[in-house]
Order: sequence, then structure tokens, then C-alpha cells
Amino acid sequence: MLVLVLGDLHIPHRSSSVPAKFKKLLVPGKIQHILCTGNLCTKESFDYLKTLASDIHVVRGDFDENMSYPELKVVTVGQFRIGLCHGHQVVPWDDTESLALIQRQLDVDILITGHTHKFQAFEHEEKFYINPGSITGAYSPLDSKVAPSFVLLDIQQSTVIAYVYQLVGEEVKVERIEYKKC
Amino acid sequence: MMTPQEEQEKLLEEALNIVKTQSFQMKRCLDKSKLMDGLKHASNMLSELRTSLLSPKSYYELYMGISDELRHLETYLLDEFSKGRKVTDLYELVQYAGNIIPRLYLLITVGVVYIKSNELSRKDILKDLVEMCRGVQHPLRGLFLRNYLLQCTKNVLPDVEEDAEGGEMSVMSHAAPRAIAGLNKMVNSSDVDAGTVRDSIDFIQLNFAEMNKLWVRMQHQGHSRDREKREQERRELRILVGTNLVRLSQLECVDIEKYKKLVLPGVLEQVVSCKDAIAQEYLMECVIQVFPDEYHLQTLNSFLQACADLHPDVNVKNVIIALIDRLAQFSHKGDVARTIPTEIQLFDIFSQQISLIIQNRPDMPPEDIVSLQVALINLALKCYPTKLDYVDKVLETTEEIFHRLNLDHLNASGAVSRELMRLMKIPVDNYNNVLELLKLEHYGPLMEYFDYQARKSMSIHLILNALENETSIPSPEQVEGILSLVGPLIQDQTDQPEKEDEEDFVEEQGYMGRFIQLLSGATTDQQYLILNTARKHFGNGGNRRIRHTLPAIVFAAYRLALKYYEFREEDEKWEKKCQKIFQFCHQTIGALIKAELAELPLRLFLQGALVISQMEFENHETVAYEFMSQAFTLYEDEISDSKAQLAAITLIISTFEKISCFGEESHEPLRTQCALAASKLLKKPDQCRGVTTCSHMFWSGKSRDGGGKEMRDGKRVMECLKKAGRIANQCMDKSVQVQLYVEILNSHIYFYEKGCSEIQITTLNELIAKIQEDIPNLESNDESDQINKHFANTIAHLKLAKQQSSPNYSYAGLDV
Repeated sequence: MLVLVLGDLHIPHRSSSVPAKFKKLLVPGKIQHILCTGNLCTKESFDYLKTLASDIHVVRGDFDENMSYPELKVVTVGQFRIGLCHGHQVVPWDDTESLALIQRQLDVDILITGHTHKFQAFEHEEKFYINPGSITGAYSPLDSKVAPSFVLLDIQQSTVIAYVYQLVGEEVKVERIEYKKC
Repeated sequence: MMTPQEEQEKLLEEALNIVKTQSFQMKRCLDKSKLMDGLKHASNMLSELRTSLLSPKSYYELYMGISDELRHLETYLLDEFSKGRKVTDLYELVQYAGNIIPRLYLLITVGVVYIKSNELSRKDILKDLVEMCRGVQHPLRGLFLRNYLLQCTKNVLPDVEEDAEGGEMSVMSHAAPRAIAGLNKMVNSSDVDAGTVRDSIDFIQLNFAEMNKLWVRMQHQGHSRDREKREQERRELRILVGTNLVRLSQLECVDIEKYKKLVLPGVLEQVVSCKDAIAQEYLMECVIQVFPDEYHLQTLNSFLQACADLHPDVNVKNVIIALIDRLAQFSHKGDVARTIPTEIQLFDIFSQQISLIIQNRPDMPPEDIVSLQVALINLALKCYPTKLDYVDKVLETTEEIFHRLNLDHLNASGAVSRELMRLMKIPVDNYNNVLELLKLEHYGPLMEYFDYQARKSMSIHLILNALENETSIPSPEQVEGILSLVGPLIQDQTDQPEKEDEEDFVEEQGYMGRFIQLLSGATTDQQYLILNTARKHFGNGGNRRIRHTLPAIVFAAYRLALKYYEFREEDEKWEKKCQKIFQFCHQTIGALIKAELAELPLRLFLQGALVISQMEFENHETVAYEFMSQAFTLYEDEISDSKAQLAAITLIISTFEKISCFGEESHEPLRTQCALAASKLLKKPDQCRGVTTCSHMFWSGKSRDGGGKEMRDGKRVMECLKKAGRIANQCMDKSVQVQLYVEILNSHIYFYEKGCSEIQITTLNELIAKIQEDIPNLESNDESDQINKHFANTIAHLKLAKQQSSPNYSYAGLDV
């Protein structure tokens, strides 16, 4: 089961489009679910995601135009409960302990957040935390060097393999991280 | 009564039956070497071709059937001749056949046998045959007869040069013909003359001229009401006439010189003088297709001159376009781009000649004139890709023509507008760089001839091209240029309709927002000027547009400020420049507020404050404070929806927590305002959560006076958490209350584990006990399930943390 995790596109306020090299990799029909951390910001980006998969979940970012996206969402994929939240509401930003608060509240195995435009994937108290970064490499006041990135989750039984794709210069680099549910 | 179709089928069937019978007889006689009898049957067979009843299609079928059979005869005769069994005077004998049609077909067949057997003068036979065919003046029969001549002589046309002494140089592998002295009065006094390529050219030219005359004559046969049918039938036969030109092109000894002097002039003369539109249009295109492009390059003037002299009904536009496209292709064939020889001023020649043609045809519809310009522009781009001025010349010409014809405000659905759009899109799609368009002086003016619909369509095309090619715009002049070209997307136009599709509008403005990302000055100072230029243009867009476009400009400005900061060592004026930028942003966000937006400007101010706080320019604290207070003002004055209020205040607090540039003088009032705002939220749960959020300000917030270190004011943290607890107590909904308790417990845990010593284990135990007491009393539903899980996870975490030891805290004494 393939799940595409991405967010913080910030089109058109801070970026023009998803990098061409990424677009080439994202082939319609291969991905079952899309989890988006928010800040699309407009319908144009949502329509693009619609071409990639039919099951899309979006949570509200601080610059999203669509008011109807929820602040928090929980999605079950296979054996995993996955929590989704943009992260600008979690104070302080980019703090593991404050993210853990949300994890406990939502009772999820995997918590996906964004907002920092910085890719992260780590285990904390046997739960998995993912930040897919910004797929367009959009500007962030918190970070001067933002490389475009997104994550592809391959969910098999009780194992999740996270493939993180990063655009460094002109090259696409891929890393592999494994997480097993306890 | 049979339909005409059925009648034709019947006639054809009858004729073919006779052919079958007679050809069978012919073959039987030939098998028995009874030549004369065989010829009699052949003659009978050929008589079927005398008919006037068959349509061209049916006649063609009959003709094909008979030609097949005649090949038998030819093969037999060739065989006899090769065995030395020549029939005396055969050439004369066949001329005694009764009717002219059978007579001439047989004559041709025999003549070719003579040629192939090297009997008699090839040159003389050919001349004789082509002349004799004049005997058939009926258009349909004559065309097929002469076609038969052409097909039979295909491989025997002399294709050798004359040498200097007037003799023959053999180029082909034919042996020189032998003379048969005395036997035939056709033999010349000199050696048997095989002929040269000149003779072939003459032969074909004559055949061609005669065939064309017959073909044209068909136009005037019969009733005027059948004209359409006749013209259709003529078109079905055109290949018969065209084959002559094909044959000319197959002569290997026809080089460019011979083409120029002997071939083309004759052909053009025939085409022009026949004054028939169908013939002219077909034959001119035939010439283009059949002869090599190198020849066309050398004969352009004559060819185009002839085009100018064509009948007014000829669609000369198609002819010219066919030629131009071929030559444009030619220069691109193969791996190596061939260059047109520089002596041939291809573009000039076409440009001038096309002008003449247009002048000579005052009735030419404007869309056709534009089509010619399209062909010209393609020529310019394909053959002279570096010559921008050629492209501009075409645009200039088009503008002149429109001006002369008094055209204006072209309707988008009309042919002229569509052709013009085709024209205008070509440079865009060819260069794939909108900056090149700015070098074309006449591009902008030409846009003004479109109506609103078309101008918008063109504008979108341009912007999308820039986006797809990620074309960076490096200077303010170029920004000015491009934004001027795409007016309909920037601001209201005088001719725009009352209502437009809302979704389309938003999409288009999205393109403009994305376009702003392409603005990338060569230097930081250039970028500042660019943003100012862009701001001016987009500012004219009105409230509907600026909400989509100005945010992108603001973010571009923030990025620029950070750039100046990054390179501050190299620029002594960087501080003043940054101040100017933030003033610019302040004013730009102000425009959005005037457009009655609130949440967006609020967020933009907060983003600005974050940027400013990182850059130590002179009085940056004041500017950051101003941005924060502007955000606050918007919060207090403009945001009334309670959900929006909670979201906004949370954002303000979380942003503030990250800003470390404020001295205590500024930090204190902001903290107070946040706390006040949180406690004044309408709904109790929102208040509770808001106040909890405030606690983070006091813990990890940083003021400048603290030397960049976290405040870690545990006392104020506890005050917040206690207050949150009191507010939670006031909630009437039990499950909401318990949910809030669990959240507050978790906040306690958060600060405790960060090392907040003001939090006591006893407090934690109390909270845990309270929750454990209340939870069982909750109604069983999804909400309480969630609360249970939340609490269970919290306890699990505490148990785990209790076991582990940490330098910051200890859970000894915790009741879990």
C-alpha cells in the first residue's frame, strides 16, 4: 500500500510549481492514498493531487484558502493509525515533546506534521514522527535553506518503510527509513 | 429504371467482357504465331476505348484492363524481334487499323517495341508518336491515350547529355543503336539517332501541353448546371496530367541549369497561359512537390512571378504556403541544419513577392493575408532563427495591412482573429522565452487589434509559456514590458464583459501569482526595482485581483530582505534598504486591508515580524513591534468569528514565542495583550486552550534582555495552567471538561519534563485522581472513547518516564 505524504506547497504565494523532477516520479495510478499537511494553498494544487490518487486527506495550514479542511485528522491505513496536522497550531513549533502531546491525544502510531519545511523522520517512545518538508522547497522564515522533499510510505502489515525524496541541486536523493509497529 | 451508378456498372461490365473475349483470342493467335489475326483482335479490344458513355472512373478501369492485355502483345513482339524474326513494316502496318483509337494505341505499342529492340531512331519514333496523338481531340480519350504513351515510354526516354562535338555521350548502360539500312523510310541519312535528354524534354513538354489543353477543355463541355460534377471529374483525372511533370523530374540528366532554362519556363508558360483555375492550382503545387528543393531555391523569382499571374480564383495562398513550408523543412532536414545559400535572400524574395500578390488581389480575404504572414514567419524562424528583425518585419507588415483595411477589435470567433492568434503564438512557442518577445517592436501594438476575449487568451498563453519554461525575468524594464502585454490579466479592461466565470478568474490570477515567483533580478537592487514595478502594475488590479497577487509580492520582498541581510558585509546601505523594503511590505499589506481582508493581512504581518526579528538593522525592534501590533489590531477589530479568533490568537502567540528581538519594554505589553486576548475568547473551552497556549510564551519565549535565552518563568507558567484549570471547571459539558483536564495534565507533564520546578508531583497526582474519578461517569460514546485513550496514553507515558531516569526531573512519588 503506497501513501504519498507531502505538504507546504505554498502555490502561488511562495512557489510556482512542484519541481519537474518530482512530477515525473509521481505517476498517477500507483498511489493509493495522499496525506497532505496543508498550505496548498489553492484549488489548483488540490486538483493536481486529485490526478495522482482518489483518496486525498488534507488538513488546514495557516495559509490555506479552503476553510473547510479540518485542523486534525486521523486516517487508518492497514494496521496503522496515522495522525495528520499542519503543525502551526502546536506550540512551540518544531518541538518533539509538544508533538507527542498531539500523538497521545489522537492515539496514533504515526504522526505527520509540516509547517517547518524541514524533512524529519524519527521514532520517539515507540511512535513514528514524520515531517515531509515542503515539496516545492517553499521559503520559510524559520529556515534559510529549504530543499524540496516529500515522503512515500510503503505500508505492509506491521511495517512501514518511508522513502524520503529530496531534491538537492539537480539531483533527486532517496533515503529509506523503517518503522515497525509494536 | 437503373440509377446512373448501376448503368455505369453495367456498361463497364459489358465492355470488360468484350475485352476478356478479344484478349483471349489475341493470345491464342499469338501463340500460334498468327500476328495479323492477333492484331485484329487487339484492335477489336481497343475499340471499346472509343466509347463516350463511360464516366472517367469507369473509363479508367477499362483502360487499365486493356493496358494489361497490351503488355502481352508487347512482350510477344519483343520476343520475336529478339529472335531476329522482325515483322517487316510493322510500324506502317498497324497504321492501317480502321479507327484512330485502336490505331494509335497499337502504334504506340509497336513503336516502343522498335525502340526497345534498337530498331530505327528512338528520337524520331518518339517525336512521331507524340505528334500523332493529336488525332484524338476528345478530352477523356485523349488524356488516357497520352497517358498510355507516357507509361509505355517510361524507361526508354533518352537520358544522355550532348557532348561538345554534337555527338552522344552515353551516360546510361544502353548500347548504341544499330542502323537498319534501307528497310524503313524512317531511317535518317546519318547514323541512327538515339536522341538526348533535350529530346525527352521536348517530348514530355509537348505531351504535357496537349494534355493540359484537353484537360482544360473538359471544363467547358456540357451544361453549366453540371459544372460541379465536371470539376469533380476533372480533379479525378489530374494525376494523368501531373505524371508529365513527374516524368520530367525523373530525367537524371536534367540538372539545375537545364531545369532553369528548358524545363521550368515551358511548364510555367503552359500553366499561366491556360488561364484555368483548377489546372493552375494543381500544377503549381505539383511543381513544388515533384522537383527538388534546391531547384526551387534557384528559381524562386520566376515561380513567384507566375503565382502573381494566376487566375483570380486560384487559392494562391495554398501554393505559396506549400512552397514556403517545403523550403522551411528543407533547411531542417537530417542531422545537420542546412543553410540557405546566402546569395538567395529567401525571406526578402518571399516577403516582396507576397506583397505583390496581395496587391494584385484586392479581394483576398484578410484571413488569407494573415495565413501568408504565418507562412512567412515560419520561414523566418526555421531558416533564419537568429534574425529577430525578420519576425518583426512580418508583424510590422501585418499591422500595416490591418491599418490599411481599417480592421480593429477583431471578433475572437472570426477567421481573421483566429489566424492572427496563430501568427502571434508562433514566436511564443518557438522561442519559449517571453523575453525575446519584448524585442519585437510590433508585437505589443498588434495585440491591440484583438478583442477582449482574444487578448485574454493570448495573455494566458504567454504567461503559461513563461511558467512552463521557468523563464526568469531579470530586469524591471522587462517586467514592465511583459506586464504591459498581458493587460487583461492585470487590470480591468474597458471592453471586458460584465460577468466572467469565477473559477476561471481565480485560476488565472493563480497564474499571475506563480508568475511573480519568476521575477528574479540580476542583483538585489534590481530585484527591489522589479518588485516596485510589479507592485505598481498589480496594484491596479482592484480588490478582486490583489488578494491573489499581492501576497506573492510580499513574500518576494521578505526573501529579498533576507538576501540583503545575508550579504550585508558587501553593501553598506543594507540597513536603509531593508527599512525601505519593510515599509513597502507594510504599505502593500495595507492595500489588502483596504480591500476588506483581515485574516490574510494578519498572517502576512506575523510572517513579516518573524523575518524582521532575525535581522539586526537599525531600529528593527520598532519595525517588528509595529508589525505585531498591526496583527493585533486586525485581530481585535476585524476578526469576530470565534473559531477564527482562536486560530488567530494561537498563531499570534506561537509566532511571538519565536521572536527574540524585543526588549522587555516591548516584550511585556505584547505578552500581556496575548494573555488578555486568550482569556477574553468567548467559548470556555477556547479560553482554556488559549490560556494554556500562553504558558509557552513565559517558558520558551525569549526577550533580548534575557540574552537570547528562554525566559523559563515557571511561576507565570503555573499561573496560566491554574487559570486554565479554573476555566475548565466552569465548563458545563462534562466530557468537554474531562477532555480539557487531560489536555491540562499533559501540559503540566510537558513543562515538568522541561524542568519547571514550580510544578509539584502532588499537583500531578491530584489531576490524575480527578480525571480517574470523572472518566467512568462519562456517557459511553465516541468522544469518551477518545478521552479514555488519550488518558491511557498519558498514563502509559508517565509509567515509562517514571522508570527512566532524567537529569531534568524525577517522577518519584507519582501515583500511576
